[in-house]
Amino acid sequence: MTKIHVVTGQNKHLYEDILEDSFRLRHEIFVQERGWKTLSRADGRDVDAYDNEEAIYLLALDDGKIVGGQRLFPTTRPHMLSEVFPYLASTKGIPSGPDIFEWTRYFVIRQRRTGRTDCRLLAAIQEFALEQGISQLTAVVEMWWLPRFQEAGFKARPLGLPQLVENAWTVAVQIDVSLDTLLHVLKLGGIHGSVLEWQKASRPGEGHHRPRFMKG
Amino acid sequence: MTSTTFDYAKEAFDFIEDLDRLGTTDEVINKMESALTLFGFENFILTGIPNPQQRFEQMVLLRKWPSGWFEIYAGQEYVRVDPVIRLCKQTVNPFEWSEAPYNREIETKAHEVMTRATEFRMARGFCLPIHGLTGYEACISMSGTHLDLTPRTKPAIHLMALYAFDRVRQLVLPTQQMKNPLSAREREVLQWSAIGKTASEVAEIMEITERTVTFHLERAREKLSAQSKIHACVKALQNRLIDL
Repeated sequence: MTKIHVVTGQNKHLYEDILEDSFRLRHEIFVQERGWKTLSRADGRDVDAYDNEEAIYLLALDDGKIVGGQRLFPTTRPHMLSEVFPYLASTKGIPSGPDIFEWTRYFVIRQRRTGRTDCRLLAAIQEFALEQGISQLTAVVEMWWLPRFQEAGFKARPLGLPQLVENAWTVAVQIDVSLDTLLHVLKLGGIHGSVLEWQKASRPGEGHHRPRFMKG
Repeated sequence: MTSTTFDYAKEAFDFIEDLDRLGTTDEVINKMESALTLFGFENFILTGIPNPQQRFEQMVLLRKWPSGWFEIYAGQEYVRVDPVIRLCKQTVNPFEWSEAPYNREIETKAHEVMTRATEFRMARGFCLPIHGLTGYEACISMSGTHLDLTPRTKPAIHLMALYAFDRVRQLVLPTQQMKNPLSAREREVLQWSAIGKTASEVAEIMEITERTVTFHLERAREKLSAQSKIHACVKALQNRLIDL
C-alpha cells in the first residue's frame, strides 16, 4: 500500500537513494513532460534553491518505489513566491509567517494518475500540516488545478490575477489547512486512517521526538 | 469596456468574495450576468460533460441561454458532435469557439451546431474546460456578438468563472451531480482488474482479503448489469466511471 513518507533535514539520510530518484522523476515530469524549460539541468535532476535542509518532502512510496511527491518550504525564508513569482501576488500580497508554508513540486507518476494517489498526497499535506500547526499553504499553480482543489475540498483563494508563465496560465493561491478538508479528501479517495509514515531518525545528540516546525 | 484603467483585478476579487454570500443558483446567475455583461457576454452555461450513458439535460448546472436554444441543443443531441465540447475534453486551456477544429465537409452536424448558434446571436464564444481529480469533466461556455476578450480580460474572466462554477456545484450538489453509481472501493477493484490484475493480486495491492475483492466486484457487476468481471470493466470504462 502506498504511504506518504515524511522526509526532512533530520531523517533524509535514511532516504538518500529515494530523494535522488525524486529529483530525477521531477526532471522527467516537469521538464520533459510539462515543458518547464527553466528547470532543465544537464544532470537530469530537478534541484533548485529550495531543495535544502529546510525543505520537507512528502513522498508517496509504494513498495519502496516513488509514485508521487510534493514539497513544503517555510515562508519565513526567501521562497519561490517571494523570489520568483511575487507579481502573481500583486493583489493580496505574499502571505508569510511561521505557520504558513509554501507547497511546491507536486507530482504523480504517469501510471498512477487515476486519482487515488492524488487523494493520498492531498490528504497527506493536510494531515501533516494539521499535526504541525501549519494553518495556511501558499502555492503557485496552473489554473487547471483550481477545479481539482475544489473537488478535493481545498479552500484556495487567489492572491492575484492569473498570468502567463512559460505559456501556461498560472495563479498564486493561499489554501486553508483544515480538518474539514482532510475529511473531505479522505472520503473522496476512500481512504481510512493515516496516510503518513514518519521515520524519526536520531543522530547523536538529538532527542527522540517528532520535530515541530513552528518556530516562535 | 477597454479602458486601461479598468481594474480587472478588483472586479474579479470582489466577485469571488461576493459569491460566498449567495445562497441560491438564481442569485449566482444574476451575479454572473452582471459580471460577464461587462465583457460583452450575453449567454453562458455551466455544465458537466455527459458520458455516453448520460443525457446532456441532467448535467447542466446553470444556464442563461437564448430562448429556444436549449430545446434545440438537447433535442438534436448536439453535445455529442459539438466541436467545442470535443476540444474541451482534450485540453486544460481556455479557448475561443473559433479555435475548436472540425472538418466542415465531413462533419456536417458539427458545422450545423456552430452555424445554428450564430442564428441565436451566439457568434463568438469562450470555453473554459474543467477536469477534476477523479475523471470528472465539465465546462463553462459563454458567448455574445461583441466580446472584450483580450490577454487582459481573459485571466479575470477565467478566475471568476471557475469560482462561480465551484459555488454553483456546492449549491446544486445535494440534488444532482456527477453521480457515479460505483463506490470508491468498487471503482478501485475494477480499475486494477481492468489492467489485468487477478483478484488475489488486487487483494494484495489494496490490503484487503480476496473475499472482499470478490464482494466489491460482484456489487459493481450488479450495479452495471454486467455478465462478467470483464464485461463490468468494459462497461465502466465506456461510461467513464473508471479510467485507466
